[in-house]
Amino acid sequence: MTMISRRSALLGAAGLATLGLSACGRGNDTGSQPTGPGSAVSEGKATGEVTVWAMGAEGEKLGDLVEKFTAANPEVKVTVTAVPWDAAHDKFTSAIAAGTTPDAAMVGTTWMGEFVDLDALDPTPADLIDKTVFFPGAWQTTEVKGTSYAVPWYVETRLLFVRTDLASKAGFTEAKDWDQLSALAKAMQQKAGAKWGISLQPGQEGSWQQVMPFAWSNGATITDEAVTAFTFDSPEMSEAWAYYQSFFTDGVADKAPAVQSTADADFANGSVPMFFSGPWMMSAVEKVGGSGFADKYDVWPMPTRKTATSFVGGSNFGVFKAAKNRDAAWKLVQFLVDPATQVEWYGMSSDLPAVTASWQDPKLTADKRVAAFGQQLEAALAPPAISTWDQVSAKFDSLVEKVCKSGLAPAEAVKTLQQEATSIGMGQ
Amino acid sequence: MTSTTVTGTRAGPRRAEKPRTGQLRRAEHRAAWVLVIPFCLLFLVFTLWPVLQSMFMSFTDTRARDLRTPFSVNVIGFANYAKALSDPVFLRAAANTAAFVLFGVPLTLAAALASAVALDKGITRLRGLFRLGFYTPVITSIVAVAVVWRFLLQPDSGLVNTVLGAIGLPEPNWLGDPYTALPALVAMAVWRNFGTGMIIFLAGLQSVPAALQEAAAIDGAGAWRRFWAITFPLLRPTLLFVAVTTTIGYLQFFEEPFVMTKGGPLNSTISVSMATYQQFGFGNYGLAGAMSYLIFVVIAIVTALQFRLIRER
Repeated sequence: MTMISRRSALLGAAGLATLGLSACGRGNDTGSQPTGPGSAVSEGKATGEVTVWAMGAEGEKLGDLVEKFTAANPEVKVTVTAVPWDAAHDKFTSAIAAGTTPDAAMVGTTWMGEFVDLDALDPTPADLIDKTVFFPGAWQTTEVKGTSYAVPWYVETRLLFVRTDLASKAGFTEAKDWDQLSALAKAMQQKAGAKWGISLQPGQEGSWQQVMPFAWSNGATITDEAVTAFTFDSPEMSEAWAYYQSFFTDGVADKAPAVQSTADADFANGSVPMFFSGPWMMSAVEKVGGSGFADKYDVWPMPTRKTATSFVGGSNFGVFKAAKNRDAAWKLVQFLVDPATQVEWYGMSSDLPAVTASWQDPKLTADKRVAAFGQQLEAALAPPAISTWDQVSAKFDSLVEKVCKSGLAPAEAVKTLQQEATSIGMGQ
Repeated sequence: MTSTTVTGTRAGPRRAEKPRTGQLRRAEHRAAWVLVIPFCLLFLVFTLWPVLQSMFMSFTDTRARDLRTPFSVNVIGFANYAKALSDPVFLRAAANTAAFVLFGVPLTLAAALASAVALDKGITRLRGLFRLGFYTPVITSIVAVAVVWRFLLQPDSGLVNTVLGAIGLPEPNWLGDPYTALPALVAMAVWRNFGTGMIIFLAGLQSVPAALQEAAAIDGAGAWRRFWAITFPLLRPTLLFVAVTTTIGYLQFFEEPFVMTKGGPLNSTISVSMATYQQFGFGNYGLAGAMSYLIFVVIAIVTALQFRLIRER
């Protein structure tokens, strides 16, 4: 009995091994061939059933917006599933692997490269979507190797939040360029009683979003034009990192801030009167600051170097290749990026429109701070959509941390980053 | 069964019985298989297969995009293992994990044993309350614990630094300084985990025969001597169990840095499990699988060593 079972176990193991080995080896690469724009979408109203996933607050509110679409297309039924942000990436990747994706979904801008790499997204049909109506930086996030696979749905960009009351105490009414920003941050500490002149992220996840605007403004790039090689090791990049580092070496920015950001509270009590962030921080600081605080601060554009370029984030909306109802899904996407829908969505969610025409609407021009975000969006960039960006940006963050905290030379840091990024590659 | 070749037509009691037992046995076999098969299937599909596949994965260049076609990948031998062992982040993580285990395990065992002895002998009033108090951190969600500990360790207004300041000691930025972040996490882990060991030690202490203690007391042994000469040796199996489970847990430590520091500052608190988690997140499944098996090997070796050192002779 034992003999037999042992033998059969061995046979089984050997069988498994040969099964494994004989089936191994990669087939022909299918993903690297260039893809044209998506095929045309049928005329007429949308019909059938469309399943949609969306994350976070957007996921909860999207259902209400979609009612307008179903009212105009009575024969379509749209099911919106809200997915929590922290579970979203795993849910998408496993759905892609299992072929159970929804027809359309909100797609994080930094996921584009990966999802296209997984061959999951349907190229944007050029007959349906006109790329010129979007902010160029936002449109760029939908493109992988020159082909667009989604549309920008909503956007956000980063501006300088300033306590204007303290800035005027320090003798400033603007921070036009890099020198002025440095001088203002120092004056905030010396003349306006601030503990730290400005809050900048000394490394840790996402710090690249604060460093890259300086680098872009200085003419540096992440990759070459054709997105074939990284270009971190440039004098422009190194100079931008050195500028970022100077805030820490001069003692103007905190090298070891709390893990959980207290930026809103520190801003309200004046201990850290400047930081870079997106539109959501307006309501956050006003809530912490209480009544009357809205008059004490403003949002200023990125300081100019060669340009005044900020970071553009937000989310895209795409249709999956495995969609059962592709045409209706694209029609829904078309509805979502209609200028009027975008304005309405702003009213529901405070998400900023990705379509430039929507910014003419009085709802968006009324608040001059919101309008300032709209202006900055004209000059805002995002990293190219490459599938390994998460990994490259993690290296970026850890090197920024070394530059800010332990005084690593910026020139050396960007050189190391170039090597590490190149060895990680761009996927595929 | 096969040896019973029936010849002739004589019907005897022996011959009549034989096939019946054979049938019975066969029926029993069948029943046994029917009962065992569900477990076997579940074990094969959900335990053995994932283990085999993940091991296979660690020898290939599997990435996230290969999930749909798990076998059309290239076998690259030990390249992932070599890559893991030459990755500075992974090596830093290994050093951090080693430090965490070397300091954390003895401290946890000492705290657990001390509190168990105190509850067994010293504390008589409100014993239940103390027992509950010491065990509460074990069953409290790490997320809630993290929030409280972040408050405690805050550089300006945290309780720890307020106390240190009041008695004139330096006030470090615990989680912000690469030299104090890991010790802070060790302290937090000890606080969070010694309750489990305490409960097990308490059970062990209560099984130490009172007669032995009395005999030793009559022979004039003091409490200290009685503890080291009688109680402690009798606790050896308990100690082994607590040491092994605590060490395995600490070798895989993940939650504390994940919620408190995200591995920072400057990778001073990143653990091997966290480094592995990051690689899984990046989609480098092959490399992450190799890292997991490296942890597994280390756990196996360390556990074997502990069995050798602490087991009863």
